[in-house]
Amino acid sequence: MRKADIVLALFLMLIGLLVIWDSARLGYGWGMSGPEAGFFPFYMGLGVVIATFFIALRAIRIFRKEGSGKPLILPGGLSPMLWILLPAVGMLLLTELLGLHLATVVYLAFYMGVVGKINWTKVALISIIVPLAIYILFDKIFLIPLPEGVWGKNILALVPF
Amino acid sequence: MDIFSNWIMGLGVALQPYNVMIAVVSLILGIIVGVLPGLGGANGCAILIPITFAMNPTAGVIMLACIYWGALYGGGICSILFNIPGEPWAVAVTFDGYPMAKAGKAGKALVLSFLSHGFGAVVGVILLTFFAPIIAEFALRFGPPETAAVMVLTFSAMTRLGGKSALKSLVAIFLGFILAGVGMDIVSGKLRMTFGTIPLMGGFNFIVAVIGLFGIGEIFLTVEEGLKMEGVAAKVTFKDIREGLIELLRFKKILLMSSLIGCWLGIQPGGATPASFMAYGFAKSSAADKDQFGKGASSGVIAPEAAAHGAGTCATLPMITLGIPGSPTMAVIMGGLMIMGLLPGPMLFKEHADFVWGFIGSIWVANVLGLILVMAFAPLFAAILRIKFSILMPIIIYVCAIGAYAVNNRMIDIYYMLIFGIVGVFFKKLDYPMAPMVLALVLGSMAESAARQALIMGRGNPLIFFKPPIALPLMLLALFLFFLPTFTKWKKKLSAKKAPV
Repeated sequence: MRKADIVLALFLMLIGLLVIWDSARLGYGWGMSGPEAGFFPFYMGLGVVIATFFIALRAIRIFRKEGSGKPLILPGGLSPMLWILLPAVGMLLLTELLGLHLATVVYLAFYMGVVGKINWTKVALISIIVPLAIYILFDKIFLIPLPEGVWGKNILALVPF
Repeated sequence: MDIFSNWIMGLGVALQPYNVMIAVVSLILGIIVGVLPGLGGANGCAILIPITFAMNPTAGVIMLACIYWGALYGGGICSILFNIPGEPWAVAVTFDGYPMAKAGKAGKALVLSFLSHGFGAVVGVILLTFFAPIIAEFALRFGPPETAAVMVLTFSAMTRLGGKSALKSLVAIFLGFILAGVGMDIVSGKLRMTFGTIPLMGGFNFIVAVIGLFGIGEIFLTVEEGLKMEGVAAKVTFKDIREGLIELLRFKKILLMSSLIGCWLGIQPGGATPASFMAYGFAKSSAADKDQFGKGASSGVIAPEAAAHGAGTCATLPMITLGIPGSPTMAVIMGGLMIMGLLPGPMLFKEHADFVWGFIGSIWVANVLGLILVMAFAPLFAAILRIKFSILMPIIIYVCAIGAYAVNNRMIDIYYMLIFGIVGVFFKKLDYPMAPMVLALVLGSMAESAARQALIMGRGNPLIFFKPPIALPLMLLALFLFFLPTFTKWKKKLSAKKAPV
């Protein structure tokens, strides 16, 4: 984990430097009527760079003395996390095409059936009822529009309400 | 008394049937949210903020706040029965709550938790009702330098309260401000930190960040540990309630002290989580039977729960009077208020008195209702956790995605949510506290405009922030709080050198 500490500190320092660079473009001094647009971000970026510098220093010192420390991700932990992340990303990409609710039907069916190995009748019931209920609740009752995707609108128009 | 008549008016508003119905529904939602790990008070409120757009502001804030009170009550259920904290502020109650449950006294543990919450809530809301108008009057004299000074004090206190490394807290705060600044600058109209990309022009919304950091991140961390939901079954019987009340009376000093500790930390931007730990530590160190702690000591359950709820309730106080949220969840609620067009702060008391007092009245009503609901239906709520994880988890992500999208109707926000989730995992593991970052994200534009206006007032002289009579002591206190641990460390080092080897 100590290595990750150093890497993250350096990565954040990079972000701080990017912010400082952009603030320089905007101007961080005193403008015509007050602080320029880059004033506040400049000092925030500067603060990030200085703080991460000391964090990285401290992390390197501890790393030299005590070695790597605990692993960043618990053994056997990466796989479950990826099993959450990747299907979720898949669902989002599917949403671009089909819209959120239809994509969720596929997502729920996939996750419950394949990962959870739940029997398919239950899977079918839940994957259809839950998104349907949320669709009615949000789209019809609360009137909050949710992503429809490229083809979603056409498919949903087939539903009779 | 003016406060009394306002309080009665507020209760009247809160007891309107529509508002009571909203309160009950939101309390139930909140308890469910508190019970489920992954859906927390902060992101539960965040997800439901868009629903409040369709309601009048009073009902909207009652809804958001009741989710918070429900989550406070419900967090203990999962901790006691499953040894898994459903909320960050419910970690401390696992220490003694779960052993008590395993020893067969689950009902008693639950009752102690709920009653302590109720007591903490009462203490908190009494303090809130009496002090809010006084502080609001005082805050009316705040100008930009004073507002900026309060912000500095807030963040200075946060660096010391949140986690072990002040440097990492600072980084989190600065990053939060930077995130808040991405997009168009209101004053100059220039685009900041967008690097020519269109998605970044819209900036980052705190709701999306909260859902990602606290929600998705928490889910990742939960599955990483491979948690199995095997818990103790529980029923709450009248015998449990009777025994619980007796225990509460036995430990009334700890109960009161913990509630006050909670209230104190709630007023400061710390929130329920540090409050629960502090109260637990206090109860343990002042207990006659220290070795009982960790094995099922009653005061080990009473202390953190009373403190957590006292903190949550009192977090409202600085939020409605000064516009400084006292806890991360309160920051989200405040964000919701700002979206509704009600800027929290002293003007709120003047211009929207009925709203503020209706809100305060609802806190009284809701916490009593919440206590009844959770006592009566605890086993039902606990049963939710028995739903298979592979069914629950994708549904939670689905709901989170809806919450993230509904803020601004942008797909990119859902992607941001996932990215914030990954960031949340790294931050949590490497000890970068997330609460200060969220606070900075919520307060970012307000803080920046206060600082800008102050500097214009002072014609570029930074000493404007130290203007007496209000700004000066606030800044001095901020510097004192920030540098105090550094001084104590130096003093210790110096005196260690002087001691004979």
